[in-house]
Formats: sequence, C-alpha cells, structure tokens
Amino acid sequence: MTDSFVLGLSSGSACLATCGMVMFPYFMAGSAGVRRIAIDLFLFLLTRFVIYFILSTLAWYFGQALFSNPVVRNIIPGILYIVFAVMLVWYSISKNRNPNCPAKIVKTVNNKKLVPILLGLVNSLGFCPALFIILTKGATQETLVQSYFAFLAFFIGSSLWFLPLPLAGKIRKKEVLKNIGILATGLAGIIFMIKGLTNLIGGIING
Amino acid sequence: MDNASKIAGMRKSFGKSLLYTLPMFLITFMFMTGGKPNFADPASGLAILTAFLLVNVLYFFMHYTGKTDRYRAVLFIIFALSLSYTLIHNMLEVRKSMSFSQADILECKIPFCHLVIPMMILPAIFTKSIIFPGSIIGGFANISSMIVLWLVATLVLGRGFCSWGCFYGGWDDGFSRIRKRPVIKKISELWKWMPFAVLIMVTLSAALAMMPTYCSWICPFKAVTEFEQVTSVESVAKAGIFLTLFGGLVVVLPVMTRKRTQCSFLCPLGAINSLSNKITPFTVKIDKKACNECFKCVGVCPLYALTPEDIKAGKVSLFCSKCGKCVDACSTKAIHYGIRGIPAGTMKNFSRNLFLFVSFLFMAVFSAGSIISTFQGLLKLIF
Repeated sequence: MTDSFVLGLSSGSACLATCGMVMFPYFMAGSAGVRRIAIDLFLFLLTRFVIYFILSTLAWYFGQALFSNPVVRNIIPGILYIVFAVMLVWYSISKNRNPNCPAKIVKTVNNKKLVPILLGLVNSLGFCPALFIILTKGATQETLVQSYFAFLAFFIGSSLWFLPLPLAGKIRKKEVLKNIGILATGLAGIIFMIKGLTNLIGGIING
Repeated sequence: MDNASKIAGMRKSFGKSLLYTLPMFLITFMFMTGGKPNFADPASGLAILTAFLLVNVLYFFMHYTGKTDRYRAVLFIIFALSLSYTLIHNMLEVRKSMSFSQADILECKIPFCHLVIPMMILPAIFTKSIIFPGSIIGGFANISSMIVLWLVATLVLGRGFCSWGCFYGGWDDGFSRIRKRPVIKKISELWKWMPFAVLIMVTLSAALAMMPTYCSWICPFKAVTEFEQVTSVESVAKAGIFLTLFGGLVVVLPVMTRKRTQCSFLCPLGAINSLSNKITPFTVKIDKKACNECFKCVGVCPLYALTPEDIKAGKVSLFCSKCGKCVDACSTKAIHYGIRGIPAGTMKNFSRNLFLFVSFLFMAVFSAGSIISTFQGLLKLIF
C-alpha cells in the first residue's frame, strides 16, 4: 500500500502542476463561496473514487486472466513497471513537458453542475504513466480486496494535492511547489523502476 | 596579509588570535580530558593531544588568517572520515561484520544517525513509537542524544548544521575539492528542490510503512557505514542503490562540479535544516553598498545557495549552510556573517567571531570522540 500511496502522492502533484490551471478556475468560477467549492471538490473526488473502484475491479480480473502463471506474474508486470516508470521519470526530467491537460475538454461544457464530475472523469482516466503503474499493480494482487486497497492508497495520495485547490489563489511560490511535485514524480518513477527490476530478476531466478 | 582580509580587518594579529583561541582551548581541553588528563595509556594520551592540538590550531588560523572555509573543511572532512572509521571499527568489533542481520534489528542494535530524524516525526506523533531499531538511551550512537544534539545545533545554526555538524557532509565536501576547476559548470536550478521532494516522499512513506525508508532504500552513506545483510534480490537492489548513489552523488559529481551534490540534491535532513534557516540567529548577509557584483560568491558556493539575482537583491537563499566559502571569496567583504536583526554591513567582526565560536565549538566537541578513537586506532595500527 505504501508504494501505491507514494505513487499517488507524486503523480497527483504532477497532475495538479499540469491540470491545476484548468481545474482551478472551474472550482473558483462565480466565487460561489467555500460551501459551493467544497461540494464541487467533493463531487470531483467522488467521481475519481468511483472510476478508480471500477478500474481496480477490471484490472484485477484482467490480471487473473492474463497472469495466471506465477513466473509470468512476476516477469510481465516487472517489464510493465519498468516501462511505465521510465515514462514517469522521463516526464519529470523532460524539458519539453507537455503542459496540455486532458481536462481542457471540460471547457466546452456549458452545464456548470456537470463540470466537477466531468473533471473527475477526465482526470482519473487521463491514462498517465502513474495510472498504468497502478493498473499493473492492481492486476497482480492476490485478491480483489488487495487491488482495492492499492487503488485506495493511490486515490488518497493523489487526492491530497487537490484538497487545497480552493485556496490556490492564496498560495505563494506556486512554481516551487510545482518543481517539488515534478521531482517527486521522478522519484516515484525510480521507486517503481526498482520494484520492476526486483520483480523481473526475482521472476527470472524463480523461473 | 591579503587585500581582502585587509579591507574588512578579518585577519587578526598573532597575539589577538591566541587570545580569541583561549576560550576554545579551555573548553575543548575540558571536553577531551574531562578536566583530568590521564597519560597512563600513551596511545590514548597521544590521540587526545593530537585531536586537541588539531582543533585549536585550526581555530587559531581562522582568526589569524581571516579565512573560514579552508580550516573548517579540514576538521569537517576529518570528522566524516573518522566517524566512518569509528562506526565500522565498532561494528567489526561487536558483530564482526559491516552488515547487520534481522536479529540485530530485533535487538535494536543499529547505530542511529541524524538522517533518520525526518522519518521519525509522523510515526512519533501519531503512534508514539520510534521507527528505528536503535538504542534510545545508552549504548553506541543512541537515539535521544543524537536528536538533542541535532535539535540544538539546528535551532542555533540552521542549515549551518550541514557544514559544521553533519558527520557525512565531509565526504562530498572533500571530494568537491579535488579538482581545481569544475567539468560540469551548469546544473538546472530545478534540482535544488529535490531534497524537499525526497523529504516529502520519505516522511510519508516511512509513516505508512512504519520503517525508515530512506535508511532502508536510499542513504548513500550505507556504503561507508553499515548495511543490511545481502540475502535476497531486494537486499542486492538496496546495496546497488547505496553504492550507486554514493559513487554518483558523493564521489563523481562533487569531483566534476566542485559542489556538494549529495547535500544539494538528495539529503532530506538538509531540506528541514534549510527551513530552520529562517529562524536561526546567525545568517550570512550581503552589504549591497559594498558589493561590486563580481559574482565570485555564486561560483564558489558549494550548495547552489547563491544566484546573481540573490546577490542583486541583497539576500542569501535558505539553502545556505554558512560554510564561509563565499565570505572568503568576496574581495570587498560585502558578503559576511551576520546576526539576525543587525543590518548588513555592520558589526561584521563581532558577528563572525561569535558565529565561529559557536559553530566551531559545536563541531570540535561533536567530532572529538570519533577523531580521538580514530587516532587511537591508527596509533595501534602503526605501533
């Protein structure tokens, strides 16, 4: 669970770094007050939670079907971890980091009440390297409950960054926070790269 | 007497330097001998005498030459080497190996170091437990004394702890001095924030896993202290990480950049110490009127704590470890040790004398034990 939380925590910061500027205006739109913002934020997080719940179930069932052999269960996820972790590290060190956020699509929606739900949907289905990693993890868990816990830890870690979003206007040194978030993403990538390598080597040795 | 020292009068006469060294002389004498010098064991007596002379001669020269960093670095590097020697020697004597087993963990026999402190905070608050398998009071390198020492030093010196108290910093400080010119001159500003990212990751992951994750997976200094017995693929991976990080951040990059890269780009305790810089009484100040904007200080700073923008704004960033390198390099002495609340450009000598006394005394007293036992060990090896 720890590594899932760490992954969520780091990728959440990166997500906020790229998507925050799109999402923030929607939460603050109309300056509806703390209650309105809190409801929007709750809907946004609830949508993400539901999506992750569905994804964790799907990932686990796919995992059961695909990784039935115990050796394959270590080797394939090991390779997947390494590939996705490299993508995550690349994201953190790349100078040409893509500033576009899929949540921009939501800009085209007129119904303001739907916006937080759509934001949650787009945000959780962003299919970034971090989500691929947690899908791999969910797919390789022994039980469905363990898969849920992995996603739950990922959800909590990534959601922490969104909690102060309504107060974002008051945060100084946003650039510093963004830098720390991006570096934390790279670190999470390294953690999963090592996890992938140990899985892979362990799988080869045991095979 | 060089021009820079003349300008600000940092350099003192022989007699005055001796007078300034006298309090250090007396205090270190008391600490090293307990007030009762015992020369019954010649090796022990000689080791104490050598350590005593070393710290006092270095302190004397700080006043006599008006230079800080080069004399600080000598003791700092010796401290790092001697601490590693003492730790390794102790472990080889006690458990006949540099590696520790699961039994050693269960019996809480792992020496404690200050780098664990950030990871202990959350578990200590929420579960009232200490997540490090070491001795709380008594025994070798116990937890309580190390925390008290770090806390006091950090509150007084801020990130100065990283250049005057950390017993690992001397490693990359030493390697950063090997080449005269850097091979790698420019590193992205972004990396300066890495210790904060590491701090967040290790603090939270340690709280969740209830184990010191930095020590288990990251710490480069495991390569020169103690490490987990290699019994599985995971422990091989850990050993690989320790050695790679030590080789990369403590040896190769410091040589290539002339910077303390482990301290600048990895150490989570450095991040906490940086934050404490905001409240400590001692600072490094920039006298904008005296500054000719040559930016020599920016080039020599080993921790990327200075930028041309900082100099123009007349402020030193929170990454400053008060090592004195910039102070020594400044030809107009515009950059100087200062005390919070006292304007830049005033009371330079007083501030420097006070800071040097406090910081050097801390390092001398803190390092004395390991330096003496290292000298003892070396004497036994030779004779």
